Parts: sequence; C-alpha cells; structure tokens
Amino acid sequence: MNKIYGYTGKIARINLTTGGITLLSTWGYVPEYIGGRGICNKIFWDEVGPGVKALDPENKLIIMTGPTTGTGIPSGGRTVITGIAPQCFPEQYSWSSIGGWFGAELKFAGYDGLILEGKAAQPSYLWIEDDKIRILYAKDIWGMYVYDTQLKLEEIHGKDVKSLVIGPAGENLVRGAIIATSNENAAGKGGYGAVFGSKNLKAIAVRGTGCVTPANVEGILKLRHVMGHPLYRTNPVKYQEIFKPRPHINVPVEGGLKQAQVCCSHGCNQHCDLFLLNVKSTTSRTGRVNQVNKCVGVYAFQWMDDCGWTPAQTFVTEQNNNPACLMQSNAGTVPPNFDDPAAEVLFERHQGDTVNFWDADYERGAVINDLCNQYGINKWDIIVWLMPWLVMGKKEGVFNDLNLGMEIDPDSEDFMKDLLDMIVYRKGYYGNLFAEGMLRAIRELGEDKYGATLYRGRTSNRLPGKRLDIPISFASSWGYSYHWHGRGFQGSIDIAAWLPAILALMTSTRDSQSDTHIHDTYDYFCAVREEPWENPLTAQCAIMNENNAELKEALTSCDWQLPDLYRSGIESEIFNMATGLNLSETDINNAAERIKNLFRAILIRNYGRTREIEVREVLPMLTYPDADGKTVSEEEYNYLVDNYYKIRGWDLKTGWPTRETYERYGLKEIADELEALGKLPGSTSADLSV
Amino acid sequence: MTEDITRRYIVQYPPEVSLCVGCNACEIVCGLVHEGRVGNSIRRIFLELDTISLEHHVYTCQHCSDYPCYDACPEKEVAMHIDEEKGIVYIDPEGCTGCRLCIEACPFEPKRINFDKTSKKAVKCDLCRTRENGPACIEYCQVQCIGVSDQPIPSS
Repeated sequence: MNKIYGYTGKIARINLTTGGITLLSTWGYVPEYIGGRGICNKIFWDEVGPGVKALDPENKLIIMTGPTTGTGIPSGGRTVITGIAPQCFPEQYSWSSIGGWFGAELKFAGYDGLILEGKAAQPSYLWIEDDKIRILYAKDIWGMYVYDTQLKLEEIHGKDVKSLVIGPAGENLVRGAIIATSNENAAGKGGYGAVFGSKNLKAIAVRGTGCVTPANVEGILKLRHVMGHPLYRTNPVKYQEIFKPRPHINVPVEGGLKQAQVCCSHGCNQHCDLFLLNVKSTTSRTGRVNQVNKCVGVYAFQWMDDCGWTPAQTFVTEQNNNPACLMQSNAGTVPPNFDDPAAEVLFERHQGDTVNFWDADYERGAVINDLCNQYGINKWDIIVWLMPWLVMGKKEGVFNDLNLGMEIDPDSEDFMKDLLDMIVYRKGYYGNLFAEGMLRAIRELGEDKYGATLYRGRTSNRLPGKRLDIPISFASSWGYSYHWHGRGFQGSIDIAAWLPAILALMTSTRDSQSDTHIHDTYDYFCAVREEPWENPLTAQCAIMNENNAELKEALTSCDWQLPDLYRSGIESEIFNMATGLNLSETDINNAAERIKNLFRAILIRNYGRTREIEVREVLPMLTYPDADGKTVSEEEYNYLVDNYYKIRGWDLKTGWPTRETYERYGLKEIADELEALGKLPGSTSADLSV
Repeated sequence: MTEDITRRYIVQYPPEVSLCVGCNACEIVCGLVHEGRVGNSIRRIFLELDTISLEHHVYTCQHCSDYPCYDACPEKEVAMHIDEEKGIVYIDPEGCTGCRLCIEACPFEPKRINFDKTSKKAVKCDLCRTRENGPACIEYCQVQCIGVSDQPIPSS
C-alpha cells in the first residue's frame, strides 16, 4: 500500500530476550483497524494465544499511537498500551491509555507503535533516537521514583527526550503499578507497570527529529478553534485560601495555595487538569512539588460526601452540549442555556451520598497523591478502594484480627506513608498481600467477611436520611472498583447512565470508564429513566458508547472531548483530516464494530468468555442500591442483555458473535479460526469451557 | 543582548497573567501554517517543556536589530531579508542553501533558528508575515500566554 497521511508507516518490534529489533509495516493494519487499540487487537490476536500469563515473557506489550497523534488534531496526543493485564481478575487481555508528549515524539522518531516481547536479562531501558533503537543497561535509574527516572533520562540523553517509565511499584511487580510520563500522566489501570517490571524494563526514552504530515491542514486549523468549544481565555496562577476542586470538597489551606490549569497531552485544545503549585512532598529533595490533580486524586484531600452529578454531564441537547472537559474541569464552565426547555432538568444537581470517610487535610491529600505518582501505583486502587475499605472495615469492626503492625488510620498521613511503603516494596505478609491488588487481597483474607460485610454509614441525599448499605469492598468487576456505576465512588449518577455503563463493563476486561463515560441525548434520558432495563434504547446507548470508545482509542482521542452527539460524524472527519482517506460515518462505525468484535474474539478464544461468565461477573453490584435506592434484578438484567446481544449480533445463549456478524465486519478468518476451535455459535462441538 | 537591539518578537507572559498549559499548539500550528507538517525540526517557536514542574518556557527569535543572522548569511537578499516596516528578519526558503551559518550566528541559547531535516533549509520565525490573522502561534494559544512584544498584555 502507498503511504497514507497521518501515519509514519512503521511499527518497531523489540525482543528484549534476544535484543532483536525488526520493523513491521503499518499498512498491513490500516485503514481497517484505524490505529491505536484497533491495531493492538489485531497484533495480539495474531501473536498471543491462550495460556500466557501477564508476567510471562511471552506476554506482549503493544504500544500504539493513532493517525491523529502528532498532527495537531485536538486530543490526538494519546497513546494506547495493551497486553495481558496483571490487575485484571482473572488475568485477561486489556488496555490502558496515556496522555503526555510521548506518543507525538514517538511518531516524530518515525514509529506508529512498538511491540515489546520477551524479557531482558538485566534491568534495561529503551533509547530511541529516530531510526536508532537501543536496549541500554538501567543501572543508573533502577530503583528510582517516577519523576527522578524521567529527570535522570533527560540528564543522560537531553532535556528534550520524552519517556514512559515505571517506579518502584512496577519493578516490584505490584499488580496496580502504572506506566507514567510527565507529571500525573499514567496508563493507570491494568497494572502494565508490572509488565514493564516483569520484562526488566524500566523506561522507554525517545527523541524524534522527523515530522508527521496530516492531509488536511486547513481543516485541522479550523477544527482547533471549534472542537470541544475551547475557551481561549487566560490561565492565570491564582491564589486561593480554600482548596475547592468540587462543590462538595472544601479544604482549608494554611497560608493559602496557588493553582491554575494544565493540559495533559500533545496538541489538545483544552486544559482540564487542575494544577497545584508548591505542595508538600515526602519524595522530593526540596519537600515541595507541583502536582496535577484529576478526578480521583482530589478525594485524598477530603471524602465526606460522594461526588455529585448533573444530568448535563451525561445527557445533552443541541442548546446545552458541552464536552466533559468543560463540564468537569476548573478551567471554566460554559453557562447553561436556559432558553432550552430541558435546562432545568439537565442542570439539577444530584448530590452524592454522605459516606463520612475522612475529613479535610490538604497536606495528607498532597502527600498521598505524590507517593502514588512517585511509586508509580494506581490511585484508583489506593484512594477510592483501599482507603475507604480500611475506613469502612474499621467502623464495622471487621479488622479486629488484621494486624498491620500499626493502628489502621487512613486519616493519618504517616499511616498512609507507611502502608504504601509496605505495599510498594512488598514488605511482610500484608505488604505482599496488598501488592497483589485489592481484589486478590480481599479474596485471600476471606471475601464474606473482608469484602461483603455491609457498611452502615452511607446515607442518601437523594432520599434524605435513608441508609443505603453497601459492601466495605468497592469491587465492581474484573478486579476493578466502582466508577460511575451507581454506587461506591462517583455513585450519584442516574440509572439511565449507570446501567449502560455496567453493560460496557460486562463486555470488557476492566473498568471501561476511561473511554466509555456514557453520553446520550436528553431525549434518551427521558425515554428510558423509569425502567431502563426494558427499553432497547439502553442497549443501543451502551453499544453507541462502546463503539465511540473504540474510535477514541484507535484514532486516538480523549473521553473528555468526544463524542459530540450533535456532530456525529466528527470521528470520520478527523480520521479523514489526518489521513486523506474518505471514510464515511458508516465506514468508521463499521471499523469500530470490527475492533470490538475482534476484542470479543480474543476473550472467547484465549479466556473462554461466555454470557454466563460475564453476566455473573456484574450481577452482584446490581443488587446494592444506587443513590436513588434503585437496584436491578437478575431477570431484569438478563432481559437487557438479550437486547444488547441481539443488536450486537451475538448469540443469546453463549454471548459469542455469529459468523454473520464477524463476516459483516470483514472478520471471516477470525470466524473460521473460532469455528475450528468450537467457539462459534452453532459449531458442531461448541466448547463452553474456560 | 540588550533591549535596544531587539525589535518585534513573540513574548511569553508571566504566569500571573497566563500560565502556559503545555499543549504545544504554538509549535504545532507554526509547522502547519508554514510547512503543512508537525515536528520538532520545523518549529520556529520553541516550547521548552519542564516535564515534572510543568512550568514551561517559550523561546522565540528576537528579530535583533543588529541582524547577526542576516549578516552571516552568504546569500543576503536571496535567502534572508529584512522587513523594516514589520520589524522582522525572515528567510526565503527558495534562496536558502542550508549552510547553517545563520544558526551559528544566532547569539541566543537555545538557538532561535531551526534546521528542517526534510528540506535541508534553515527556518525561523517571520511573525507569519504573509498571514492575514498575524502570528498563528498567538491566534491558536488557548490560554493567550504569548503575544507580540509591542502589543498590550491581556488582562486576566
């Protein structure tokens, strides 16, 4: 195939065992798989069969940019990382994605992506400088914190290098270890930092002096002014007396604080990340750092009430249609348009439940965030699962025989410092236990007592004073915790949104809300909210959001900027601007279906995924009340799953895509292989074994 | 360098006015409007990112009024020109031979003239002299943290 604009045309395969480096052509994967996760899925399907474990040398870590990366198309700076995820329970193929400047720099060096395989004989890092890729001894950086590692690489190779790194958590194979870049940018979920560690890989540093050439320069320049309605206003560093990142978080700060906003990835036209200057750090030599805070980190500062929600964050009309980066950030919000008859409902704030976990402490919050950043450990496992579990379990008297060697007190900065040190360096029985991640730790301790014990301290603010008991473990599914799922962290969302979110979680291998925050129209909200399991629109909503997620992770783009439901062809628009090809909206939606069904095929072939397995995985969470006291029964949920599978073209009994579905999206060879394995609906010897 | 030998150029405002968010839009659109590409070797505005502190610095050609780059150019009036009216020194890519003498003559560190690996020619800021809307980096800076030196600082 001739060169296509937007891509570099090369993917580098690096075998860390042999030191062998070879190049693949990107043209073997595009435009069918677009880029990012689409290409990753195809490579994984072709190269990694069943039986491989996350920390085996045979696991492959596939790092891929998209056609928009480095082109100036807003939010295209993101990079996708896939492979078998150690955080996932049970271990399965999964993904994570990361912002920062690494992806664009990798393309400037001439690569659309990297495939990492094998295991280096000694601690190593990759040094990529244009067409030269070297595997170097990491003796000077092994053991270092995340920030120090990056700074050391800049000292060695020049200040302009960009790097992906792990901290001590990844080196010590902690299942919640992140891959990090810059300040607070992380491939946070999946535990891919531990995969780096298992391969003896500390970092990848890159410098690129080449260029990326998009097809439609004028189109991109126009798009930068309008995509996501960027604010184009100044961003002064402001002095504040109180840290107030959300309406329900109010943290007094002795001497005040300075804050502004920053953006998280190359080429974005938004700046939705909160930036705190000169906060306390116990890892830096000066004792102070600048710290970025996103959605989860702010809860380390105070968590008395769960976060609230307004329907406008999820449901839109033409008059009130703003992306999450404007709805959620502190950059500045767009005022509601009250000419819209829906505005009153759209902007009614749904206050979160009162949970009384820990009260305001600015320094404790800063230190916990800093430790997670520097150790390179997933904040979702620590701040919104481990910490509330400790508080709830203690209040319910569950931990009387749990001897951590110190009093359990997540309110205390010192306790959290000691606990994180114990986990990251796998010190003692409990250090090793929690290093395996929250789900595995709780199963080891005994799920009935340490997971399912009900916390009686959650009260609804939607149904004033009503107690809404919830298990002390915020486990949702696949080894992850609640996240806009109607209960637990960010639980105040309406059932019209959390139910399709749980469908998306069900068909995934991880908390899918990094790219699948549910969005739909206000009309959808009105149509389904009373009995959403009965309405086929709920399944359609889940599928639309799943397909949009595939496109975000393939193009690449950001969950906080897309989709734009009133510019529905924007994904094909930006693909065409980058590549010069002419895919229609239907073409690109078919590509999303292709990528999703190929992911499904991987789960079926490698892990025996069936309807029974995935429905069973999400059912427990549905039995606990949401912020409105609502639950969904097994019968109701299965009715919804029927609708979902029918629309997807998946068999109702097995949950497997039919041959017709695979072939509709150009996956005949996949269907042939699955049929030979007895993994196609109607196969003469259908094999439902795991 | 002292103030009296500089002319019109791009400046970065202090963080109290507007903090650079690190989006690279200035560099990106610079490459797009001039070459239709994006990359480090064609940027004419240099965003030095501080990976961890996130306090970034923007470096630009100062359009020095004693013209050291112009003086060093062996193809004056073919490859390099002075536009007195606009207060700038600019390169004509048609005439540039890629000798790099202008880069060597730039008195600043980091150098404010780049070398395009693809075209093998020097590239430098021309304040987007032929562009109707003026410098693209300013137009596309989402937080208005840069401006032209002779223009008023925006209020925050």
